Amino acid sequence: MSISETILKIENVDFSYNGNQKTLSKISFSVSRGELLGIIGPNGSGKTTLLKIVSGILKPNKGNMLLLNQNLNNLSIEKIAKFISVVPQDTWVTFSFKAKEVVFIGRLPYISRLKGETLEDYQISQEAMVKTQSLPLSEKNIQKISGGERQRVFIAKALAQTPQLLLLDEFTSHLDLNYKYEMLNLLKKALTEEGLTIISVFHDLNLASIASHRLILLNVGKIEKIGTPQEVLNEENLQKVYGVKPILIDHPYLKVPQVIM
Amino acid sequence: MKFSINKSPKVITSYINWRKKLILMLLIGSLGILGVSLACLNFGVVSIHPKEIFSLIWNSSSDKTNSLIIWQLRIPRIIMAILAGAALSTVGGAFQGILRNPLADPYILGVSAGAALGACIGIALQYTTGYYLASFLPLFAFTGAMFSLYLVYMSSKISYTLESTGLLLAGVAINFLFSALITVLLALSKSELHSMIFWLMGDLSTANWNKITIITIPAIVGSLFLFLSSLDLNALSLGEEEALHLGVDTGKLRIRIFIIGSIIIASIVSFTGLIGFVGLIVPHITRLLVGPDHRVMLPTSALFGAIFLILCDTFARTIITPTEIPIGAVTAIVGAPLFIYLLRRRNV
Repeated sequence: MSISETILKIENVDFSYNGNQKTLSKISFSVSRGELLGIIGPNGSGKTTLLKIVSGILKPNKGNMLLLNQNLNNLSIEKIAKFISVVPQDTWVTFSFKAKEVVFIGRLPYISRLKGETLEDYQISQEAMVKTQSLPLSEKNIQKISGGERQRVFIAKALAQTPQLLLLDEFTSHLDLNYKYEMLNLLKKALTEEGLTIISVFHDLNLASIASHRLILLNVGKIEKIGTPQEVLNEENLQKVYGVKPILIDHPYLKVPQVIM
Repeated sequence: MKFSINKSPKVITSYINWRKKLILMLLIGSLGILGVSLACLNFGVVSIHPKEIFSLIWNSSSDKTNSLIIWQLRIPRIIMAILAGAALSTVGGAFQGILRNPLADPYILGVSAGAALGACIGIALQYTTGYYLASFLPLFAFTGAMFSLYLVYMSSKISYTLESTGLLLAGVAINFLFSALITVLLALSKSELHSMIFWLMGDLSTANWNKITIITIPAIVGSLFLFLSSLDLNALSLGEEEALHLGVDTGKLRIRIFIIGSIIIASIVSFTGLIGFVGLIVPHITRLLVGPDHRVMLPTSALFGAIFLILCDTFARTIITPTEIPIGAVTAIVGAPLFIYLLRRRNV
């Protein structure tokens, strides 16, 4: 699939939490269908805030945002939920729902409150669990499974929402090595075969380099550099943003930069 | 093109079983209410033979006094218990949902304290002015409840833009303020103290058909509105932001449920006084039995709450006849050990 159609276009977005100090300033970028855009940067550089702006939870103070040529600021959250789904960094479920019930909640944007759900909603939920290998967890209490298992359930929930744009916030943080790479493969497959688009915050620079088509490097609320992993992950940029001199080597097979600190 | 998932041919049947579960629970609950009501009709100061009760229910001609006892005292009281138990439990469950706090109950957002203050002012006025105000007490209570609803709404709006903590803190603050004022009234009161305390502990003895008619509509219509928000409450259980990402306007949801729930509670407690504990434990017990899915949990806890309150009220009016003990004391005395037992069993 060729990378062509623009899914999200963001121009000159400014945001501040309290009105004086800007958390984000002059953010501009766009994402095309089938692309995985990684966001990296040190703690407090505004990664999660940027994700919240894109997901419509936070409204920017300034700037334009177009989601599939519609003004994102004017879309209701009900509408946005049919385009964008989010896998949060940490989750805490109040009551002891079963994993399959959590995944099914992902169908909410499509369910009429009066008519109720259809068989298709269950089929989609179940298929999302199959894909994320969380089906064996179906009957388990979401409060009593491990962090990694819960993360897989929440990825299944986000897929059950059948989004066009998937936002991930350090989705691999609790995952074991095997699931990390299986999840990555699953998402890459969804990108190429099903036209999904992903914006993901990464803490792990090496994973970001392997997974992403392009990277945004954030530094105190500004985009320091945007481009392919090769363009972004170089000594000069990393030293400027992280303040330490990194050692960079090429991944032996993938030929993308890997950072050794 | 849209991101679609290949549909697997067979869906695990257990996925769809919430409807079956709901129907089963509605059946069990309704039969339970019917059974418990009929059984509890037998108990009272005057003993009436079950056979006679049955004939009185079908044709009220045989004995005037007994007919009066059954139709004007016991049946209205049981229906009042059903309505109050169901409403308190539904609203308790819904408030636990919007506040994401298992310790929430229908009184946590301040509406009950307002009602109590209103009622106590009414009682105090009756004793100081000498006017007979007893039949206007519900009006005093309801006015107080609406006043506190307004205060909580406004103060939560000022402080926290209606996040759950903002609403919770505003409710707790108003609760404290009004409770303090009630304490002042209690401290100043003499002969009216007994009436006030009984009101504060809840009392179903004044139930009659007029009161039932008045509270039925807000209780039923309000509860139906709450049931319709079940899926949104499920989403909110995953977290505030998660719910927003699923397209649920959490601020509006919270305010809607706060207002509907408070109006239901206000109309109930204005007539019954503050029957405590039901709205806290019944949703929990129901969750332990049927799971947390609000689509099943809310209607089921309405029915369980009704059964629980009929039993507690029968206990309250018969345990040391002819004296009645406040129903609010019974709900806590019976409910607390039951609750602790269930919690322990779940954790084993």
